[in-house]
Amino acid sequence: MSEDVRQTVFSIIAKEAGIDEGKVTLDSTLKDLEIPSLDAIQIIFEIEDHFKIQMPDRDPNFDTESVKGLVETVEKLLADKAANPPAPDNATPPAPPAA
Amino acid sequence: MNRRVVITGVGAICALGHDARAVWQGMREGRSAIAPLAGFESQDMRVKVAAQVRDFDPAAHFDSKKLILLDRVSQFALVAAREAVAQSGLDFAQGNLSQRSACVVGTGTGGEVTNDECSKRLYGEGNPRLHPLSIVRRMMSAPASQVSIEFGITGPSFAVSSACASANHAFAQASALVRAGVADVALAGGTEACLTLGVLRAWEAMRVLADDTCRPFCKQRRGLVLGEGAGMIVLEDFDHARARGADILAEFAGAGMSADAGDIVMPSDVGAARAMTAALRDAQLAPADIDYINAHGTATPANDPTETRAIHMALGDHAAKVAVSSTKSVHGHALGAAGALEIVAAIGALRDGVIPPTANFIDPDPECDLDYVPNAAREAPVRAVLSNAFAFGGLNAVVALKRAS
Repeated sequence: MSEDVRQTVFSIIAKEAGIDEGKVTLDSTLKDLEIPSLDAIQIIFEIEDHFKIQMPDRDPNFDTESVKGLVETVEKLLADKAANPPAPDNATPPAPPAA
Repeated sequence: MNRRVVITGVGAICALGHDARAVWQGMREGRSAIAPLAGFESQDMRVKVAAQVRDFDPAAHFDSKKLILLDRVSQFALVAAREAVAQSGLDFAQGNLSQRSACVVGTGTGGEVTNDECSKRLYGEGNPRLHPLSIVRRMMSAPASQVSIEFGITGPSFAVSSACASANHAFAQASALVRAGVADVALAGGTEACLTLGVLRAWEAMRVLADDTCRPFCKQRRGLVLGEGAGMIVLEDFDHARARGADILAEFAGAGMSADAGDIVMPSDVGAARAMTAALRDAQLAPADIDYINAHGTATPANDPTETRAIHMALGDHAAKVAVSSTKSVHGHALGAAGALEIVAAIGALRDGVIPPTANFIDPDPECDLDYVPNAAREAPVRAVLSNAFAFGGLNAVVALKRAS
């Protein structure tokens, strides 16, 4: 598991859910962390934006999935992306100018 | 004053067809009009399917002078309203009927097609010059205004907005006007034309859309499918309708409204049950009188078990006996028009003694333990019906209809 990815996912969860990053562990579920579904959607959105990936549309186990599962999904998508870089025409859009 | 209110006309347009007869026929057959999303082929959409109104030619319904004033949301409202009024046989020019009539139209999103065109021009093309009729097309009250203008209705007329419960809230308001004697006739309904790039993208981001189809109350359900369209009914004071020999389609027995005052998206069983109980009380019906519930049944993971629990709370022992179905499985979720399409199912069930099925049903979900009439319509005497609408933001409205007597 990449320490960078883990660290980033932890910090996104903590920021979006407004909880102390120290509370987030690999084994905790979103439910354990008392993260409501609306915050969960925002967490996924921020993760997608940060890593320029697209998470699976909806996981039926959204509420029970562990943070570890989330980190592993991100790593898998990053590995897929590295193995199949998008064609130049479909390059990820440029990052918006810094606000 | 507490007058009886009846329904003397109905009109509808949605993916199932362009009139109420076709819509009801599609519901009875459980024929899903959900299809691959068309018109956005150049975009990489995560939304794969929708219940779009197809083969609709606005020019066949409106001349160019009128059409330039109408967003798609008002076009749908007018098509449905014309059908409902024609069926009722009412002539608003007669006597003082114009002043004694009301018009209440619900919409969740309003003139989104116009909104999208404005945004495209303004931000996409950098063109600051917007069409001069943009405001009158896109205002939330445009459908209500257009319907009142079309028929010369000069009594109380306004829009109602409560997301997915808009149409049922509109019925509740309009029926209250007739019941209280403020109006003798009220044209009421809901309309939505929400399948624009901006709205679709916003729904995509919420991650509640199914990528296959709409499977309410079923274990394999994957979320809601967006739809569009409009439904309108003519509500009329019973004595007024009887005096002119009108064909009474059903009695509008009552309505119940509540707010969850909780989460902005997660539904509450208690809040939904309170609206259903209020509708029963308002209609002076007992739970055992209800033979059919047209459920909100969006097929999201959250709605269906919550609504199931709410039905248990509101109906008690009778919940195990009542037939429940969600016709969203065939016409999608038309948001502010949802209740207006679903009242077509309620009226059809009462008149024909046929309960439309929940289509696309595979396996039951253990958390949803009611009789959902899977896949095939059922013949059964239907004396009274509840039609549920529970909106994002916790705004609930339930209407109760009885067979005409």
